[in-house]
Amino acid sequence: MQEQLITIEIDEQGNSSIDLEGFHGQGCGDVAKDFRGGDSVTQSSKKREYYAQATGVKQSQQNT
Amino acid sequence: MSQYEELTTTMTDQQYLVEALTEMGYKPEVQTEGTALRGYGGVSWNRPVQVTIPREQLRGALASVGFGRDEAGVFQAVIDDLDRKCSGFDESWLGRVAQTYKERQTMAVAKTKGYVFRGRDVVQTPQGPKVQLRFAVR
Repeated sequence: MQEQLITIEIDEQGNSSIDLEGFHGQGCGDVAKDFRGGDSVTQSSKKREYYAQATGVKQSQQNT
Repeated sequence: MSQYEELTTTMTDQQYLVEALTEMGYKPEVQTEGTALRGYGGVSWNRPVQVTIPREQLRGALASVGFGRDEAGVFQAVIDDLDRKCSGFDESWLGRVAQTYKERQTMAVAKTKGYVFRGRDVVQTPQGPKVQLRFAVR
């Protein structure tokens, strides 16, 4: 089974983006929600894998 | 004559703010109820601040830096305008505070939610260094 990996990037303004690999179904949104906290999402895009069996999501968010 | 100015941030958690400033080498003072901020030449800020970095800790600065909560509970930075223009305590410096704050917040969330830390890198980009944190699902 593919390992589920989460990569968070934080820029010099404190804005962050989250990249998910190896996720299936609702798990994707749950993880993004865990790390988003009270931050607001400014951009969200689904990877090609999202529409296949495994899913991936990339989100950018503004720091709170 | 210098004066205090307020710079906007989106930081809300005092613990992570204090941890971030500590990680950056400061020893911030915390007054939960808030205290008056007095600066160079006796100038003062008209609202209480909860977190203060004393001037002695800020190399080349004329005045202490404060962080005070606004009506929405968000910390706003209060910085002397001459220190912002001449001593490097500007938007970039505040951005590094926010970056460190976000890293501390992310690590705390990951620990609470049970994610496994897999590593940290600093990636150089044209927009400045980005901190990259990697986690796996337990």
